[in-house]
Amino acid sequence: MQRISETTDLPKGDENPLGEVIRTTLGQRAGRLPAADATAEATAVTWRLVAAQLTPVIGARGLDVLFSRALHQASVEFPWLASAVDRGGSASPLPSLMACLAGQLASSAADASYALLLSFTDLLAALIGESLTTRLLAPVWAAPSIFSGRNAL
Amino acid sequence: MNDKVTIRHLATGVPGLDAVLGGGIPEFSFNLIVGPPGSGKTTLAHQIMFALATKERPALFFTVLGEPPLKMLRYQQQFSFFDAKKIPESIRIVNLSDEVSAGNFDEVLARITGEVEASSPGLVFVDSFRSVMIEARHQPQGTLSLQQFIQQLGIHLSSWQATTFLIGEYLSNSDPHPVFTVADGLLSLDQSVHRNSMVRQLQVLKMRGQASRPGMQAFRISSAGIEVFPSALLRDDNGTADERAGSRRTKTRVTMGVPGLDKMLGGGLPSGYSMLVAGPSGSGKTILATAFLAEGVRRGEPGVIVAFEQTPSQSRIGTIDDMVRAGQVGLINTRSLDLSIDEIVQNLLSLIHRMKATRVVIDSLSGFELAVAPTFRDDFRESLFRMIAVLSNLGVTVVMTSELEDRYTDLRFSPYGSAFLTDAIIVERYIEIESRLKRVMAVVKVRGSAHSNELRLFEITDAGIIIGEPVRDHEGLLSGRPTLARVADAVD
Repeated sequence: MQRISETTDLPKGDENPLGEVIRTTLGQRAGRLPAADATAEATAVTWRLVAAQLTPVIGARGLDVLFSRALHQASVEFPWLASAVDRGGSASPLPSLMACLAGQLASSAADASYALLLSFTDLLAALIGESLTTRLLAPVWAAPSIFSGRNAL
Repeated sequence: MNDKVTIRHLATGVPGLDAVLGGGIPEFSFNLIVGPPGSGKTTLAHQIMFALATKERPALFFTVLGEPPLKMLRYQQQFSFFDAKKIPESIRIVNLSDEVSAGNFDEVLARITGEVEASSPGLVFVDSFRSVMIEARHQPQGTLSLQQFIQQLGIHLSSWQATTFLIGEYLSNSDPHPVFTVADGLLSLDQSVHRNSMVRQLQVLKMRGQASRPGMQAFRISSAGIEVFPSALLRDDNGTADERAGSRRTKTRVTMGVPGLDKMLGGGLPSGYSMLVAGPSGSGKTILATAFLAEGVRRGEPGVIVAFEQTPSQSRIGTIDDMVRAGQVGLINTRSLDLSIDEIVQNLLSLIHRMKATRVVIDSLSGFELAVAPTFRDDFRESLFRMIAVLSNLGVTVVMTSELEDRYTDLRFSPYGSAFLTDAIIVERYIEIESRLKRVMAVVKVRGSAHSNELRLFEITDAGIIIGEPVRDHEGLLSGRPTLARVADAVD
């Protein structure tokens, strides 16, 4: 996996335990051999869960700022993601992100969605620490038991 | 029914704060923490929250605009009290900025009450209500006013059996906000910059139902969080003698470790006394104080030295360094220039307790005054008085040195007027005899004890202070220009 972000010293991609969890989560939610629209749907489900966990803590605006930054970082590798920002405008960027993903090849959509989530969690961990990120986002992932068993506490 | 309600007090987990509050935070009280930006309000709130929050007594921390929650979480983690494991089970952080900026107070209050009802927290924090007030200016008529909002919040939170803290910026004294009346407790934090030093102080302006300590209390923020240094408390004026001091302040005498000096003092320094050794630079004050500590070590009486001037290794006879290394003497060595006297006293007291020390040296008051932040210098004399009183209550025997320029026109012992505070005074001086600079010392005062009134020559050798004969053949020594005494007088 290529490095998405140079802003943190945290392990990236497969070195990062979160990377595996994100991949598993997206995979489970999109189903086997997913089409791009299934990936888009899985991404939306996951982002809504992230929002549900984080909005009460950091506020909707705080979440928007982080999401935009993660989108910007991921668009370095997947330039077509930038159009989600442009199309989103001031409204929620999620629908435009879904539209963007759905218009791509299945594998490309899956990689971009993964890169975006990883970039977001890296960014959050760089700001508030890995431990707190892990604890706050634990309910988001599809297989929390595996993850929390390895990293929580 | 005669049973009165018993209010439980919660230990705040902030060192020194419980003593200032008068025994901790009353359970289910409604408290305000106010102060300018950067004064440590959020840090104080977080430290209290992390200390008190448990699964059985969870905390809700509402962030209302002010500091972005991401930054708050980021920076508060730098403190060692921040325990991420408590989030979210014991501590839940709830952001209300959307409600505050978009809606009115009814919505904010509804959100807070909703969250509190849902999770029945034992602790509730709202950071900060100042932001709420700023937003209040834009509220349409007819909606809940800020005053009503705060009052309702106070009433709600008290009845929900939650201990509550509202955090906000300080408001002017001339326009006290109604919330100050509603609150059970009011803590004001402040930071003042004076020349090159910055001093943090807090004040308990109000704490219902308990005797909080009056006045400004110095505190420091380090990586461990906030530590408060409560002003040294004098004995209660309850009309009874202090038993502890009485029992420890016995009639025994402490040997000084300088041959001949004990005799001059009338048999040693009475135990529990404080002594001032005053003299010009280089006259041997530190050496005398060192001898006092070394004598204690020889006799199995541990000592503590607060050194503001020479570092131990610079000491001529080097024994302080040796004694400190051997663990026989405790050392507080500081050259920081932003200390409060109370901070030094706090450190000194804990070191005295740890070392079980009975001998204390403060070398010197002149260095002490320099080390104290300019903000506190105006009160130096009062603080010195409190410090000596506290040490005296402990029953330790104290030797303080004070640099004093030789003035040959008057006889002074201390630039601080502290001479009257001490029980005993030794003065050292330079005199010129036969074109040589010689040192003399005299015991000026030993309270309640006979003592020598002789001016004795003394020398400083590698073995320490050697006290010589009284100066019999000269007079006018204190004028700095002694003359030969008349032979008849000298013979007498």
